[in-house]
Amino acid sequence: MFELLEDAGFTRVRTAVVPGFRFRKESTRNAAEAYGVKAVMITATKPAET
Amino acid sequence: MTGADQQAQLEGVLKDEILRMYQEVADNPDAEFHFFHGREAVEMFGYDPEWLERAPAGAVASFAGVGNPHERAELTPGETVLDLGSGAGLDAIIASWRVGPEGRVIGVDLNPSMCRKAQANLAATGGSMECHEGRMEEIPLPDASADVVISNGVVNLSFQKRRVAEEMFRVLKPGGRISITDIVSGRELSQSIVNDPKLWAA
Repeated sequence: MFELLEDAGFTRVRTAVVPGFRFRKESTRNAAEAYGVKAVMITATKPAET
Repeated sequence: MTGADQQAQLEGVLKDEILRMYQEVADNPDAEFHFFHGREAVEMFGYDPEWLERAPAGAVASFAGVGNPHERAELTPGETVLDLGSGAGLDAIIASWRVGPEGRVIGVDLNPSMCRKAQANLAATGGSMECHEGRMEEIPLPDASADVVISNGVVNLSFQKRRVAEEMFRVLKPGGRISITDIVSGRELSQSIVNDPKLWAA
């Protein structure tokens, strides 16, 4: 996602993990963990001059 | 069938599954899903309790996001906010409070009935919003329409995330910004997941 936003032209792309995010069902949680799935907050800016 | 045909077919099936799943959350908020939703989720993500007291119960109960995009959005009065995948409208409602009467909130959702629900929820608070049925890969707005794009657990559902990033960039005014919360994967998903609309929509 980070790269896609930069490729689109965004600058100051910042990410942070959403604290406390988890899936309800254990089977989904286990699968998510195996794939390194996490929730993130992403901010980015469109330059004033484009 | 070509690869492009297969992709289009899979996207069609995925669209139906996304519509079905999130409609179910809206229609049956007391049901249990594999993800947290409703009040349990918003409390988990640190939504301001005061917002939750003010918001219509239906908007809170149908919340199906994965975080709190307001935490870093820094919305200010008078801004125009696009909520991409606005669902039942909780994030749009909060945005409308933050941008005030001089501001503007625009929703875009794949599901027209969710647009109507979000508008009804916002009207119950005394506010209003535009809401357009549309796809995030082809946002139905002109260039440079918004100061801020917020989104919550939606971009990950697209097969064309590059296109979504380009569309968010297009509809933002110069100097505009995004504040989104979403699901990312540290590893490439297996083909069995990619080919299973129920898992992808999850």
